Amino acid sequence: MSYRIGIDVGGTNTNGVLLKGAQVLATVKAPTDHHNLHAGTREALTRLLAALPEKERGPVELHLSTTLATNAIVEGKGAPTAVLIIPGPGLRWTDLPVPFKLYPLSGYIDHRGREAGPLDREEVRRAVRAVKADGYQAVAVVGKFSPRNFQHELAIEELIRAEFPELAPVTLGHRLSGRLNFPRRITTAALNASIAAIQAEFVRMVEKVQDQYQLGKVYLLKADGGTLGLQESVHRSIETILSGPAASLMGAMALTAEIEDAVALDIGGTTSEISVFSGGEPLAEREGAVIAGYPTLVPAFFSRSLGLGGDSQVTFDGKQVTIGPQRVGPPVALGGPQVTPTDAVVVLGGAALGDAKKAHAALQAMGAPFGLESRAMAEKIVATFAQKAAAAIRSVYAELNNRPVYTVSQVLAGADLKPKRLIGMGGPAAYFIPKIGAELGLPYQVLPHYEAANAIGAAASRPTFAVTLRADTMLGKMVVPELDYEAPIDRPFTFDREAARQEAIRQAVNYAKKMGVAVDPDEIEITEEEVFNMVRHFYTVGKNFNLRAQVKPRIHRVIP
Amino acid sequence: MVKMATKTKLGLVFFPAFDWAIAPDHPEREERLLYTRDQIREEGLLDLPGIVEFRPQIATRQDIERVHICVPSVEKVCTESHLIAAGGTITAGELVVSGQTERAFALLRPPGHHALRIVHGSRGFCTINIEAVMVEYLRKLHNGRLRVAIVDTDAHHADGTQDIYYNDPDVLHISIHQDGRTLYPGTGAVDELGGPGAYGLTLNVPLPPGSGDAEVLYAVEHLVLPVLRDFQPDLIINAAGQDNHFTDPITNMKVTAQGYARLTELLAPDLVVLEGGYSIEGALPYVNVGIILALAGLDYTGVREPELPPGVQKDGRVHEAVVRNVAFLQEVWARRQEIDPAAVFGGGNYYRRKRHLYYDTDDIHEVQVEAIKMCAACSGYRELHSFAEDRRRKQARIAAVLLPWHACPACRQQAEEAFARLAAEPDWDDVYYQNPADPQRPLVSKAGRGES
Ligand SMILES: [Zn+2]
Ligand SMILES: [Zn+2]
Repeated sequence: MSYRIGIDVGGTNTNGVLLKGAQVLATVKAPTDHHNLHAGTREALTRLLAALPEKERGPVELHLSTTLATNAIVEGKGAPTAVLIIPGPGLRWTDLPVPFKLYPLSGYIDHRGREAGPLDREEVRRAVRAVKADGYQAVAVVGKFSPRNFQHELAIEELIRAEFPELAPVTLGHRLSGRLNFPRRITTAALNASIAAIQAEFVRMVEKVQDQYQLGKVYLLKADGGTLGLQESVHRSIETILSGPAASLMGAMALTAEIEDAVALDIGGTTSEISVFSGGEPLAEREGAVIAGYPTLVPAFFSRSLGLGGDSQVTFDGKQVTIGPQRVGPPVALGGPQVTPTDAVVVLGGAALGDAKKAHAALQAMGAPFGLESRAMAEKIVATFAQKAAAAIRSVYAELNNRPVYTVSQVLAGADLKPKRLIGMGGPAAYFIPKIGAELGLPYQVLPHYEAANAIGAAASRPTFAVTLRADTMLGKMVVPELDYEAPIDRPFTFDREAARQEAIRQAVNYAKKMGVAVDPDEIEITEEEVFNMVRHFYTVGKNFNLRAQVKPRIHRVIP
Repeated sequence: MVKMATKTKLGLVFFPAFDWAIAPDHPEREERLLYTRDQIREEGLLDLPGIVEFRPQIATRQDIERVHICVPSVEKVCTESHLIAAGGTITAGELVVSGQTERAFALLRPPGHHALRIVHGSRGFCTINIEAVMVEYLRKLHNGRLRVAIVDTDAHHADGTQDIYYNDPDVLHISIHQDGRTLYPGTGAVDELGGPGAYGLTLNVPLPPGSGDAEVLYAVEHLVLPVLRDFQPDLIINAAGQDNHFTDPITNMKVTAQGYARLTELLAPDLVVLEGGYSIEGALPYVNVGIILALAGLDYTGVREPELPPGVQKDGRVHEAVVRNVAFLQEVWARRQEIDPAAVFGGGNYYRRKRHLYYDTDDIHEVQVEAIKMCAACSGYRELHSFAEDRRRKQARIAAVLLPWHACPACRQQAEEAFARLAAEPDWDDVYYQNPADPQRPLVSKAGRGES
């Protein structure tokens, strides 16, 4: 039976759990020390390992979810980063919606991945010198259509490695994502470059811990609920952003028997997060995560934030109750300055929290001018909360069901997402969820508050990765950008859909191997597949294929 | 604190119909908008503030019948992709008239501007006139009180849209295209100027083969813009075919992506609808990005094709034939209200014409006889007789009576009588009656013995 430790370094607390298979052997909790993440992690580890039966001692796998990357980005603590871009024609590079210093280079790759304009090495050198002179320490290199042809990016990497080693390693856009979106690729690569040094230092620290405690493999949790090997995270640290919310969803999945088609609402103090499950799987963002307002190509769970929480500010004008989006302080019951939804719950007897008398008095004061006693006022607040949450959930589904689709059959299929159940999470969930469920006409379920849920989510997660295969039989070439793989297609006339699938699966298995994970071909699924006949002058001259293959983000069930 | 709602500049209804083709090797095939999709995605246009993408709706039979007489029925001539292309165009129109977006671009296929009022099948790759379906949908919303200008810049003459609006006083139709003497469908000469109820509201600017940015922009600046200023439409629609491009395989024009973007900027249309354009790699990705940027008010000057062949110039001298045609049409426009109808359309109560129409895509020949009532009180009801034969010698003989928007009581009564008379005649497979303003009955009523 395998042992796994999950540690979630959250904003307030660090939680840890030791699992033996599906069994929770021990949980620990300590306040997070933001100045010394290492200390909290060590303490949690020491205590968890102490719970390991003596005779079973052996390498234990460690799964870490940290806010390191997220915080570095949100707080702007990354290294000053410059991006060498090869924009080609199109949207003016000065109009690119990216917040980084850009150094444009000549060179032009077209939509098929053909070189339509060469790179100018002398110009690259001049640009790199300027990057240095301007004081930048980290560099990303991103070309338009580089997932279709990454030779320009590779050539620049090589040049910097040979002539400007002090700036190496650089982040290349095509390796982080095979999806088309030049501005997002710039942001993703630049953020990755900016936090690379911080990540490298973190990895060194964890490696020491790994040695000291004789741990087995160490994995970091990613925004898509999968894990990434510790060493690999030095190159792809950007994928570890937003691992906290991912851990929370993975925890919900690990602890829930059947999720199927459900909407999950995680009610926090200031905000609530809406997530969507379809067929038991959390829905992913269409293109990638948005962090600190920047759209990226980082694979992530779909979620929408709602400015509504247990500590939101409540006002009442005699007719309408307004809740949020601001938070002024803790609930009155806990000594806060203004009425919050939590105070309403306290008044209605839904929670034993702080000083109920204070909550009563505050609601009485709010309702009295309009002839409402405190209970009536509290009911009005709770009802408004439920209506707001239900409206937000409905609009999320409307948004999802209106996602553009590009085939006749998808349009005819119509709205395909519909929640069958509401799942509540978070401290104030128990009281609000039944009322939100009633608003939506959905059965509901409140996950018991479980402090170690995020840590369990981290411990229960497994490696995920995806590769993109682009094959163009007219050009006789295929590429897998994530792997720097480019190869001729030997028999273009027999390269068909099945051949493309097999190739994509083979590449995904190779990628896994490169990441130190052994996977079986049958653990790989094709998530996107496009095949187009190419006709020129009324003759079919080839086919082009766009495939994405990934390891299914699976999860170990855990008995709470 | 109230969050200021900033209006979305551009709504994009993108529908490339990746699973539909007229035939596997036909220009109107799955691959047509693939490279455009790739370019739009890679440029990140859908993440730009002010650009939002929308899913198309599916047009209903009623939506189609506001425009067309489909023989024998809507269901028989339309595939689902036609209903989605028409529905997506309606979606774009709704975005604009509801104020949800400032402008909208229906970037979808299959196209529609060769589809005539009566539809026996597909011609010029078109079955359903998607602009007209949208215009009629919006007119219905406004009880017929909507003035619309359609500016068709496809390389082919928009003979379908012209046919539908030939006698409609509330719709101005301008087509700029490669001279019909050198290209399908052959029509669109400067002297096709509209019926007795809408004289001068059909304008055609034929361009000699080899015309480029200079010619198209000359026609827009010197004819289209002044005419639009006079006409004061509530809505300007650009039927934006992209087969004027210098790389298009089925035309002989030399317009560039920059030319299209400049055209879009000058015209400032409320709605753009894709029509033709079959240089799917060399033109469409660049032209569409140029149009989207221009519509969103962004700098489009960085958009260009991988290489411009010699001989394609932006600021060349304008071809003399274009200058001449534009001058002629300026004159027509200025004097359109002074003409003597009897001199142009002949005396008598009806303007009659007989046309031979060809459906190249489906190989159908049609002879159409039309009578338009010359009415002082409205634009006049119409009676159409249509005889069609396909290559298997299968024949269709139908008659139709059409009422215009705002028909006068006399025309309404005469139209009813004409329908009753035709329905009693044994010659017809079917007899159709179309009244866009009738809220009660189906838009197209049928009396006859034909299959349905
Ligand atoms: Zn055309
Ligand atoms: Zn009349």
